[in-house]
Amino acid sequence: MIPSFSLPLTFILLCFGMLGVPDLYAGESVVVYSGRAERLIKPVLDHFQQTTGTTVQLLTAGSTELVNRLRAEGAQSPADVFITNEAGALEMARHLHLLQPITLPSVATTIPTQFRAPDNSWIGLSGRIWIVVYNTNMVDPSTIHSLLDLATPSWKGKLAIPNASSEYLQAGASMVLAAKGEKTADAFLQGIRDNAGNEVYGKNRQIVDAVAKGKVAVGLVNHYYIFRHLDTDPQAPVAPLITDQDNDGIGAIMNVAGIGLTAHAKHRSAANELITFLMSLTGQEMFASINKEYPVNPSIQADPVLPPSSSFRASTIPLTRLAELREPIIQTIERLGLR
Amino acid sequence: MALGTAAILTFPLLYVTYSALTGDLSLIPRLWATRLPELLTNTISLALGVSITTLTLGVSTAWVITRYQFWGRAFWDWSFVLPLAIPSFVLAYIYSYLLDTAGPVEQAWQWLTHSDARIPSPYGFMGALVVMTLNTFPYVYLLARAAFQNFNLSFEEAAQATGATRWETFFRVSLPLIRPALVASMFLVILYVVSDFGAVSLLRFQTFTYAIYQQITGRFDYQSASLLSLLLVAFALIFLFAERWFRTQSRFYQTSGRVRTATPKPCSWTKAIGINLAFLFIFSAAFGLPVLLLIQWTFAAWTSGELESSLGRYIWNSLFLSAIAATAALALGTPLAYLASRIPTRFHLACLQGAYIGYVLPGPVAALALLMVFTNTLPFLYGTILVLILAYVVHYLPAGLQAMESALQQVNPNLEDAARNLGAKRIRTFTQITFPLVRKGFSAAWLLMFLLCMKELPATLLLRPIGFDTLAVRIWLEASEELYQLAAPPALLIVLFTIPAVFLLSKKNWQAD
Repeated sequence: MIPSFSLPLTFILLCFGMLGVPDLYAGESVVVYSGRAERLIKPVLDHFQQTTGTTVQLLTAGSTELVNRLRAEGAQSPADVFITNEAGALEMARHLHLLQPITLPSVATTIPTQFRAPDNSWIGLSGRIWIVVYNTNMVDPSTIHSLLDLATPSWKGKLAIPNASSEYLQAGASMVLAAKGEKTADAFLQGIRDNAGNEVYGKNRQIVDAVAKGKVAVGLVNHYYIFRHLDTDPQAPVAPLITDQDNDGIGAIMNVAGIGLTAHAKHRSAANELITFLMSLTGQEMFASINKEYPVNPSIQADPVLPPSSSFRASTIPLTRLAELREPIIQTIERLGLR
Repeated sequence: MALGTAAILTFPLLYVTYSALTGDLSLIPRLWATRLPELLTNTISLALGVSITTLTLGVSTAWVITRYQFWGRAFWDWSFVLPLAIPSFVLAYIYSYLLDTAGPVEQAWQWLTHSDARIPSPYGFMGALVVMTLNTFPYVYLLARAAFQNFNLSFEEAAQATGATRWETFFRVSLPLIRPALVASMFLVILYVVSDFGAVSLLRFQTFTYAIYQQITGRFDYQSASLLSLLLVAFALIFLFAERWFRTQSRFYQTSGRVRTATPKPCSWTKAIGINLAFLFIFSAAFGLPVLLLIQWTFAAWTSGELESSLGRYIWNSLFLSAIAATAALALGTPLAYLASRIPTRFHLACLQGAYIGYVLPGPVAALALLMVFTNTLPFLYGTILVLILAYVVHYLPAGLQAMESALQQVNPNLEDAARNLGAKRIRTFTQITFPLVRKGFSAAWLLMFLLCMKELPATLLLRPIGFDTLAVRIWLEASEELYQLAAPPALLIVLFTIPAVFLLSKKNWQAD
């Protein structure tokens, strides 16, 4: 049967396999490592490939996983650019010297400073806000001014939160920590822990669900989950609430998906071409609207169902702080025993 | 030759040992103080829990199938092997959907009881226990069934003639007699549970392998990962030697007279209905329901036009990779198994044992070791599928090696000696005498390795060349986004492609020698 051919077959197939080296593609190409869900990034890259003729080779995996892959590969890395869903991973890559500055002049004019690395080795592309979702039958939105309000005892048993391993919870708490200090951050985490009780969910979608069903009155989620829910059920009694808009408030907590240029990029010009496209009007619109996010370029309009970005003030704390605060906040969350 | 093969196979372990011990050694007490107690308890309790449940499930199903004649028996006989075709992470994502908050099971429960009661979360120990049990009990079933089929009835009859009740006979005579099969299947199950990565990570249950993967991917702490791996390897080695020792200790011999095996006896129709219902429940939980869900989701994805056009390429990638890896593993394993059984010098035996280490070295760790070594020494090979194939071989050869070993042991060396006395060289003796005789055993080994490679996840995630996704990788990417409909088509395809292999395997008489 099969095994009698095993040796020659192995040999032939191995030779065949060695031909499968990635650089077979003729013409310009750019290698993308992406931690953003493929369904959110592929259409944009496909569009780029069609309009420019530059081949895009895409590898999707977890963001941190890719940072480590880049690190292990070192100078041998085939990657030219690194796209992730959150600034923390990009900043981590920068600290590990895996990125190099993007020298395109348009960076300074299109991307606000808090949404890019100090040396421009990564830039944000689309923003999401960590936001309150409330049940319109149960809550008067004027009673909530700040995320910190949700930690007061009056919300006991009425709040749903994501679980301790949620990157969004970690990033949100980091921002509170950066803006208001350790004491406030601890009190905030303890408060929402006690108020949520058993209403701790693994997925944002479930939190919106619980609010829509009236199981809880309010929840903490990324804004697009609310609009996704309203897409499938327009009558659902849920609405977004942007908090912390007072003068001394933190501002809306915004995190970005972004792109970095790798330190050992072998296709510099193609990579720059891709980055330029993603900063352009079409690129920004496509990248953001596919997930109902906000283009980071403030002059470009977001999807009309979203509250316009001019209607609220986003936090000005640089996202680079997220990477610094990552370990401390994880430890705090573990220490306080959030589930 | 044996040394060369063993060197390839053990080299990731050597690299891991090196990187564990060359770094900061104060890490050891720190790990001991923080992570280790939890990881140890979790891993051991899951392994023990799954052992108990799979033994119960596997032995009882095998017993009923071999001893009773009832309507539907032929169907159940082969259908209990089917769960092996579902990768553990697919079962895990299906169960996390079913048992999730506000998921179908909870809704059904709330509707039935008219309450707001929440069912236990699938995340954590219970979920992992259920999924791993359903996924691995067929191993016990297969081995126990073979043992019961080759079982000499005279022992039971002697027990009953001397006044033992049926329960006493079962627990004190029948079970001890199939002990070798039980031990062998426990060995498979425990190794599977301990080295599983996909299911425990989707169900967020911290075992050694999952923690190791997190150390690598979440924090890039390769030294901690290496240290944890070394510990895991140490445990596994103890376990491995225990199993070997046990096997040599517990041989049962036919004393005299002929062997009479059991013939299934007819049972009452009430019993038959009971058996069928119980079997239907087990089968639905482990295979029927998951596959129906996959079909439904695939259909939904198809009608909504979300079906990926590149599925064909993923299929080809999966089949191609698994076939080469299985073939390469067979080629590498043959000298090891052959030399160890024919010229059992200490050296050859040590090489053989060394090869088994690959099975217990966690997939992600071995993969990263390969990645680092290849980028540092042979960068032109990095990014080719060769590295991936090597990772598969290191990890799965041991699974096939067991079948190859026992096939070789069943060939009477006298035949080979005769050929050699007639002037044939060792190679010629092997190709013309030994090989034809072990072909079946070797085919089974190939199939087993093929099957495991089709379902492999962590090494593929880390080492796949750019643009070279397999079915397993696609499932993983979509399932971690909770896009069940998109994860379903590749999952269904893996199941479809592995069913024939599983089926062929089940036809083999799995006797633990």
